[in-house]
Amino acid sequence: MSKIMTVDILSSIKGAEPSESVNKLFDVIKNAQTINNSTTNTINAVSLNDLREDVIIESSTTEKEIIKENFPNEKNGFLVVTKVIEE
Amino acid sequence: MESQIQQIHQQLVDKKITCTALIQERLDLLKANTNNTVNQLLEDIALNLAKKVDAKINNGDTIGLLEGIPFGIKDVYMVQGTKTTASSHLLKNYKSAYTATAIQKLLDAGAIPLVKENCDSFGHGSSSENTIFGAVKNAINPNLVGGGSSGGSAVNVAKNYTVFSIGGDTGGSIRQPAGYNNIYGLKPTYGRISRYGLMAYASSTDCVGPLAKSIEDIRIVLNTMSGKDVKDQTTYASADINTENLTNINGIKTVGYFKNFIESDAIDAQVKADFLTTLDKIKAKGIAVKALDFFESNTLVSTYYTLAMAETASNLSRLDGTNYGERVESGSLKETYAVTRSQNFSEETKRRIVGGNQVLSQGFSDKIYLKGLALRDQISSNFEKDFNTVDIILSPVTPSTPPKVGDSLKDPHAMYLSDAYTVGFSLGQLPTFTIPQGTATGLQISAAKNNDELVLKFANFLKDTI
Repeated sequence: MSKIMTVDILSSIKGAEPSESVNKLFDVIKNAQTINNSTTNTINAVSLNDLREDVIIESSTTEKEIIKENFPNEKNGFLVVTKVIEE
Repeated sequence: MESQIQQIHQQLVDKKITCTALIQERLDLLKANTNNTVNQLLEDIALNLAKKVDAKINNGDTIGLLEGIPFGIKDVYMVQGTKTTASSHLLKNYKSAYTATAIQKLLDAGAIPLVKENCDSFGHGSSSENTIFGAVKNAINPNLVGGGSSGGSAVNVAKNYTVFSIGGDTGGSIRQPAGYNNIYGLKPTYGRISRYGLMAYASSTDCVGPLAKSIEDIRIVLNTMSGKDVKDQTTYASADINTENLTNINGIKTVGYFKNFIESDAIDAQVKADFLTTLDKIKAKGIAVKALDFFESNTLVSTYYTLAMAETASNLSRLDGTNYGERVESGSLKETYAVTRSQNFSEETKRRIVGGNQVLSQGFSDKIYLKGLALRDQISSNFEKDFNTVDIILSPVTPSTPPKVGDSLKDPHAMYLSDAYTVGFSLGQLPTFTIPQGTATGLQISAAKNNDELVLKFANFLKDTI
């Protein structure tokens, strides 16, 4: 079942609409000639041999304090984070 | 070689000035400035660090070259304990919990941060007018824009408020304001400097880079910030660039330029004439000059913005008033997210997020986004081919001189097109250096990937040639 989503829903921005200035840019791409459409874009790939260690790095005390400051509400010693899931 | 850093270092060592007096003087200049370059002054941090440098000198201890040197930071870098607003409403009270790798390296070397600098919100702009802190005004003519998005950084350097500043360049955001304010600005090879702690705009072309008043200062700061970082897996190890290597032009036999940039109807007649005169001066020094074919400006700009908008739509999706930014409560939770983002993002940022979601959505991704990726591959291949026949590619930084404050906001499409000469080098991930010579908004020097030394070397050659 397909459901058409408008750009304001996709972008999570109330009242957002496509822009004529931006659409002009996209028209150029639609009409551009490419050698082929299959992308081989591996420019930023990281080698499997070069992955960083999968370890937990403990945050400093100062870092933890500032994170708490960015969430000023506290209840029973816990940070209070605003609701993130509804349905 | 001329260097403001070396000069101030010597004055500190010789006790001709104290670090505290130096820092206070620059802070006073920043406070009094009317160019809207300041988002936040780091007065307490800076003065405390200055006292420590003075104590070291008075104690007879040796100080490092960057120790006590005042610098500015574009307000998109995390610096622990300071506000990092990205010049946006959404993050106007956000406090950084940690420090960006590039900035930490400068702090470790003893450089003193003075200011978080005004810029286009999230790097979205080419004029530094898309900001809640007021449009940045050009250092040379305050009726004109400061350029963008690292406009505050460029103006601070040009006005001698900072000795150097750290900007961010995704599609020209260091090079263009450097050109508009007649200073040096380097976008290094992608991956040479860690992006960890730089607020992400378009991750595949985001670069950290210095703006300064001399090639030597650019070299010193570049060396300090470069290197592999486990926190940014696109970084690579690079060797330091030695100043001695910049004093000859060994390895530079042919310079290329893009014909279509110069033959375009959009280029200002004087910029074109000045650029062609520069080419003649280079030829007169025995260096071959070769005209190259390249993609049309429209294609370059459209490819860049297609990919940058797609990436920024994704990167900024985390900014919804939960972990980042202040929430605006509304009827349902979904409505709350939508209203928070609608009220707290600027018009230009919303335009780019919406554009990005358009090209990533079903039915459009094949026709636009994937085609954009294919075009980027072709652009990169084109550069690789060109650098088999030329050592350097030279181009103007912009087709015309800076617009008046207010004009860019009226016509976003014209603003996008003004990036025509900078975005291609970003897509190619090449080292590209703006120098304040050759045209009214300078020249760009590009070389093959990882060849940052060659662009500095050629800049040094041009300094005495044109």
